Amino acid sequence: MRPGLLAVAVLASIAGARVPAAFDLHGATRAGNRAEPYAVVWLDAPQGITQAPVSKVVLDQRNLDFFPRILAVRVGTVVEFPNNDRVFHNVFSFHDGKRFDLGLYPVGTMKRVTFDHPGLSRIFCNIHPNMAAHVMSLDTPYFTVSDADGRFAMAAVPPGTYTYHAWRPGRADLTGSVVVGPGASSLEIRWR
Amino acid sequence: MKLLMALVAMAIAAHPTVASSQTVAVELTQTVGASTESVAAAATQIRAFGEVAGGVRFMGEGAWAARSSSGTDAFGAAYPYANRAQVIEAYGERTFQPGPFLVGIRGGRYRTPFGISSASDHAYDGFFRAPLIRYDNYYALSNNFLEHGADVIVGVPRLTLEVSAGTPSDVGAASRRSGLDTVVRGQGVIGALIVGMSYIRTTPYEDEYYAKGRAVFTGVDLRFMRGGVQVRGEWISGRPFDGTTTTGGYADLIVHRPSMGPITAVMRAEHLAYEVGSPYQLYGTRYTGGARIRVLGRLTAAVDVIHQSGALPQRHSTTVDVGVTYSVRSH
Repeated sequence: MRPGLLAVAVLASIAGARVPAAFDLHGATRAGNRAEPYAVVWLDAPQGITQAPVSKVVLDQRNLDFFPRILAVRVGTVVEFPNNDRVFHNVFSFHDGKRFDLGLYPVGTMKRVTFDHPGLSRIFCNIHPNMAAHVMSLDTPYFTVSDADGRFAMAAVPPGTYTYHAWRPGRADLTGSVVVGPGASSLEIRWR
Repeated sequence: MKLLMALVAMAIAAHPTVASSQTVAVELTQTVGASTESVAAAATQIRAFGEVAGGVRFMGEGAWAARSSSGTDAFGAAYPYANRAQVIEAYGERTFQPGPFLVGIRGGRYRTPFGISSASDHAYDGFFRAPLIRYDNYYALSNNFLEHGADVIVGVPRLTLEVSAGTPSDVGAASRRSGLDTVVRGQGVIGALIVGMSYIRTTPYEDEYYAKGRAVFTGVDLRFMRGGVQVRGEWISGRPFDGTTTTGGYADLIVHRPSMGPITAVMRAEHLAYEVGSPYQLYGTRYTGGARIRVLGRLTAAVDVIHQSGALPQRHSTTVDVGVTYSVRSH
């Protein structure tokens, strides 16, 4: 913990005030002066974090598209790929990250993939070249994806100093340091 | 062009009414190409699809396409080459899943659901020509056959029965006469293998003066895809009108393995036989080998080498088709 934060915590403790165990980190992802939507933002996890991943997450195939097109999950998460179109889809990931090929499957059926190691997986449909999604598998419980306006929120982050990372398709990875604690729970990430 | 503009306006207008977290997508695809059969072609296709209230989805597709000569089936894969803008598909559909069952309803103007009929099965896969049994003027079932009617699909996801009833609403050179169309299709999925059987009873597209009776076809189709290898094919048999028969089919191999990078290899073997009194019969065997290459982002190039024998209208036994396609999607 940074000396400043430590001092705040000590003074608050002496004064009898309760210091929250965790803070919500809010922020924005921007490129120059424009909002940069759908960026993955995550913090390196401190040692000893044992929080379990969410059991399952859905990456839908609907209207000849994936939804969401940018997905961040904790390592070990099972991602479901339902086909909700009346045409066949063939989801695959051949490149980095998790490699799989789900074969053809029809409307109303679903296949599952466990993202069991960290990294970026590029997801495509072998039938429809315009369908593409990215799944970022992360070894930390502190991650989020910014919304259409470039805003993000990360809930229940324990106070401390973290290394943050940000990624978006077509942009260089950004990294830096952020302090989370009383009066310090916002982060602006900016690509040039 | 008014039709295309209407389609775009429809997509734009639908933006604020999206019921789910999905957005309406508009996809624009432009293709230019040339063949050693002394023909050049250009096509623009726009598609808009998404959801409106109550889980109802819509699909609208319009196209403009033209080519310098009509004495060939080059570039016949997806569009009618009428040198004017046309609405291709325009339908709404709703799918329900009560328990383990699947029920789908579609109404409007949609591709005739016989065999492998989806636009995405023909328009993006690296072949510039439709299969012989799917070409406009070869006395079989054209890719440009459309129904104006209603389609119902029932079953469970891995075993479905589909019934369509409507009237012909075709685009392209082969346009069926008015009348009632019925299409029945059964489809089963076993692992990554999809097997379908289709039946159609419709009106002939040929001149009423000599084409009497109804057109009736039965077909079987197979699809398999795994590990970046897709195998698919159809075989049909039937009569385009009284006193004639058409049989034929095709088998496609489409390969995109990780080691191939941006290249997808395509191969097709096909046969068509239209039996009628001499000199009007039509028959041929055709082999196609080619590749689709993702050149840069949304730009792809493709080359097909075609070798054929028999009595088909093409001028050469061996031809080469090349083209580039640019596709962009907005959300």
